[in-house]
Amino acid sequence: MISVKNLQFSYTRQPFIENMSFEVKDGEIFGFLGPSGAGKSTLQKILTGLLRNYTGSVIVSDTEVKRHDNSFYENIGVDFEFPSLYEKLTARENLRFFSSLYRKQTDIDYLLERVGLLHEANKRVAEYSKGMKSRINFIKALLHDPILLFLDEPTSGLDPSNAGRIKEMILQEKAKGKTIILTTHNMYDATELCDRVAFIVDGELRALDIPRKLIMSRGASKVRYTYSQNGREEGAEIPLNQTGEDSLLQSLLRENRLLSIHSSEPTLNDIFVEITGRRLQ
Amino acid sequence: MKVKPLLIQDIKFQYKYGFYFLYLVFSVFYITLLYALPVAWREKAAILMIFSDPAAMGLFFMGAIVLFEKGERVLDSIAVSPAKPYEYMLSKLVSIGVISTVVALVIGFSGGVIANHFYFIAGVFLCSCLFSSVGIILAAKITTLNQFILATIPAQVLINIPAIAYLFGWKPFPLLLHPGVCMIELCENGTNALPAIIILILWVILVAVLAEKAVAKMLRSVGGFKL
Repeated sequence: MISVKNLQFSYTRQPFIENMSFEVKDGEIFGFLGPSGAGKSTLQKILTGLLRNYTGSVIVSDTEVKRHDNSFYENIGVDFEFPSLYEKLTARENLRFFSSLYRKQTDIDYLLERVGLLHEANKRVAEYSKGMKSRINFIKALLHDPILLFLDEPTSGLDPSNAGRIKEMILQEKAKGKTIILTTHNMYDATELCDRVAFIVDGELRALDIPRKLIMSRGASKVRYTYSQNGREEGAEIPLNQTGEDSLLQSLLRENRLLSIHSSEPTLNDIFVEITGRRLQ
Repeated sequence: MKVKPLLIQDIKFQYKYGFYFLYLVFSVFYITLLYALPVAWREKAAILMIFSDPAAMGLFFMGAIVLFEKGERVLDSIAVSPAKPYEYMLSKLVSIGVISTVVALVIGFSGGVIANHFYFIAGVFLCSCLFSSVGIILAAKITTLNQFILATIPAQVLINIPAIAYLFGWKPFPLLLHPGVCMIELCENGTNALPAIIILILWVILVAVLAEKAVAKMLRSVGGFKL
């Protein structure tokens, strides 16, 4: 779906994106993680054909994006981080307008129902809460049933229930064979949704892999446990793959003296900090 | 061709954001003012009103429309849609041009100044398109209303002063190359109406091409992600 080879781009004489190469397969959810100013925005603009003065090759849906025409956008849906809606028009009027710009159209009411806003559809967007605007913005990207979706912080500003609903819809789009590019600061969303993630810092790809692999590649999971010793609570920590050799743990298990036991893994955020020396949030 | 949905949206936008109400208020005000003036002044006053308001309205309204769209970030979504920059621009020129022409006709009939309907309509519509194109070029580059108002001052001076001078009797022939003068000549059904319409069309094409480039650049810069 996407093939980037030796991409170089600069706003000034100083190179901003240097020698970047990666591929995104059809039907994959691919996450870009990076702090503000890392180059995610620029990269997304290049992938969506807005910045054309790059060198190297950027092929999206079999089209070199610097040579795309506007029909290129018939197959691309973009959900921006901030709502891009006419505030004085109703949600339905907004969706009808944006839908009318595309050849292929889907059922607006069905999408509204999916995000729980069917009964609020005739309200002006100005009267919507931040979360409601985010949900309308999200379904706006699905109106023309695109094969490639760019989602920028799709769960930002949503309560856990609605965030779950949106994540479920993202996974359903993937199940339909859609390719999804997810840009996020949220490591939990990235871990939960992405097939692969790329860490971007200072215009460079510092790592690219399956989230689970990235997590497991940097230090094993640990087991922490607490127990009672002479009336006091004591604790210990060992690597998960050494539990069989921990005689103290064995005896505590046999004597039922454990007060608590749990495993802990590094998060994607920990891995990001370790690899890049920068924080995501 | 996305002009039709864009045009429908522009009309809806202008209605919902109160632009048509403003046109109605201005029309009533101008017609009342026209009838308060002595009959001998009425013709020139009507032409001046039509030139300085319905025709020039595009300059200000276009600024307001583009700034609203920038503020509500809808240009981000239009930038990554199949709509082309010229389609976006054309729908705005036509939507503002039509309402400007309707208002100008109302004022024109009230002032009794319409001698040739075709030239009158063409003059107002083309002049409106010219002003709207200038408005788009200016609005594409700025972000606040204050910046926009400041930026329109040189444009207004350049377009208005020669046209007003021509209306009040200073008529050297080379002045006919000026687009505002062409509009006055057409509305007055002057002896040079035919060359005036050709010159005005050429001006509109030139400025519209520049406006299209400004829109394309604006859409490339606003679209995409802000992180």
